[in-house]
Amino acid sequence: MELVDRYVHEVGQYLPSRLRADVEAELRSLLTESIEERARTAGRPADAQLATDALREFGVPRDVASRYAPEPQYLIGPRLYPTYRTAVKIMIPILAAVVLVLMVIGQFQHQGEPPSIAPFIRATESFLSSVLFNLGVMTFIFALVERAMQNREAVGTAWDPATLPPVNDPDRISYFGRIFALYLIAALALLFNFFPEWVGVVVFHNTDTQVIPLLEPAFARYLPLLNTWWALAFALNLVVLRQSQWRRTTRWADLALEVFNGVILLVIVAGPPVFAYDMWAKLVLQVFLVISVIKACAMLYRLLVRRTFEPWARS
Amino acid sequence: MVMGNTQLSLRENLSLELRRGALVLAVLTELRHEEYGYSLKKLLADKGLEIDEGTLYPLLRRLEGQGLLKSDWRVEDGRPRRYYRASAQGEKLARELAAEWQKLAGVIGALIK
Repeated sequence: MELVDRYVHEVGQYLPSRLRADVEAELRSLLTESIEERARTAGRPADAQLATDALREFGVPRDVASRYAPEPQYLIGPRLYPTYRTAVKIMIPILAAVVLVLMVIGQFQHQGEPPSIAPFIRATESFLSSVLFNLGVMTFIFALVERAMQNREAVGTAWDPATLPPVNDPDRISYFGRIFALYLIAALALLFNFFPEWVGVVVFHNTDTQVIPLLEPAFARYLPLLNTWWALAFALNLVVLRQSQWRRTTRWADLALEVFNGVILLVIVAGPPVFAYDMWAKLVLQVFLVISVIKACAMLYRLLVRRTFEPWARS
Repeated sequence: MVMGNTQLSLRENLSLELRRGALVLAVLTELRHEEYGYSLKKLLADKGLEIDEGTLYPLLRRLEGQGLLKSDWRVEDGRPRRYYRASAQGEKLARELAAEWQKLAGVIGALIK
């Protein structure tokens, strides 16, 4: 019966592919039987009206499929959605403010010229593309964290109240902070690998605003090192999120990453020119290097001084 | 009128919630003998428990996924049918749930007298 075929196909569209064929076969068999039973009761052959009645009683295809689905069918679940919404609410005004400031500076530079809507159009385009780029990265990160936390719960053992951290736990993580770190790492990795021309200095000419690329093509020689660091930092943040707290092992891994970060900075600073304004760029990197060394020392001190860890901070 | 509809919907939701737990017990108990989806629906309806097909059939799949039911396809009267039966784990759980149900029914019965 054509209506049943359409219904079964529609339900199948909302099901995971590994379940689809089996559920469709069973559903078709059950619906056909149900319609034939109705026909026997009504004392007439099965027709479109009886099929319509049976399908209406069965329910909306999407709802029926959701009852078959073994796991929640969402990208970002109710636990992370409020944080996601907050992150988006913060991101959009920041991007708008950045674009607005650049537009105002541009207008200031063009004082005396006849008024034009071109800068406004360019700023709108720039705002929309930045929102799409950042929203994409952010959604990807949240979806990844959602999956990571679902898997952890799936294999989780019985909860033990003794594992509750103290009220002022220095090992407690900020979900927002960790997710923001993931977002930054992903955004930087995408930017340096696929849009290196966007990394630069914004300058204002008499006629236009443009970005002067900061990275020379020779900078690509450092990408394998940077990508390794980003991948490791991304993985560490995911592990910390899964564990919902800092542990001794992740603290040591964090320290190792900080040292690795310092080594990369040192290699770039000591290496051949790779920036458009090499002297200034390397001066900034030297400041970052000093910060990285201080940070690593502080982390090492914390790890060595806090030798005994509480039972809830199992490694 | 709006208040009336809200109360009706609330009653329906609470009633559904009340039935949801009982449904698993009813299905596991009836599936001590092999049945396919439609025959199980009729069997339960004949005993006074009406269940929407859109609720019952997905429930069977979920219980099977949890290892409480086992199933196999068979062709009968020229029609392929998937037959379900409670697994050993499902039968054990049905007995435990039945004991829990008896106890709860006794307590609630005494409370609402």
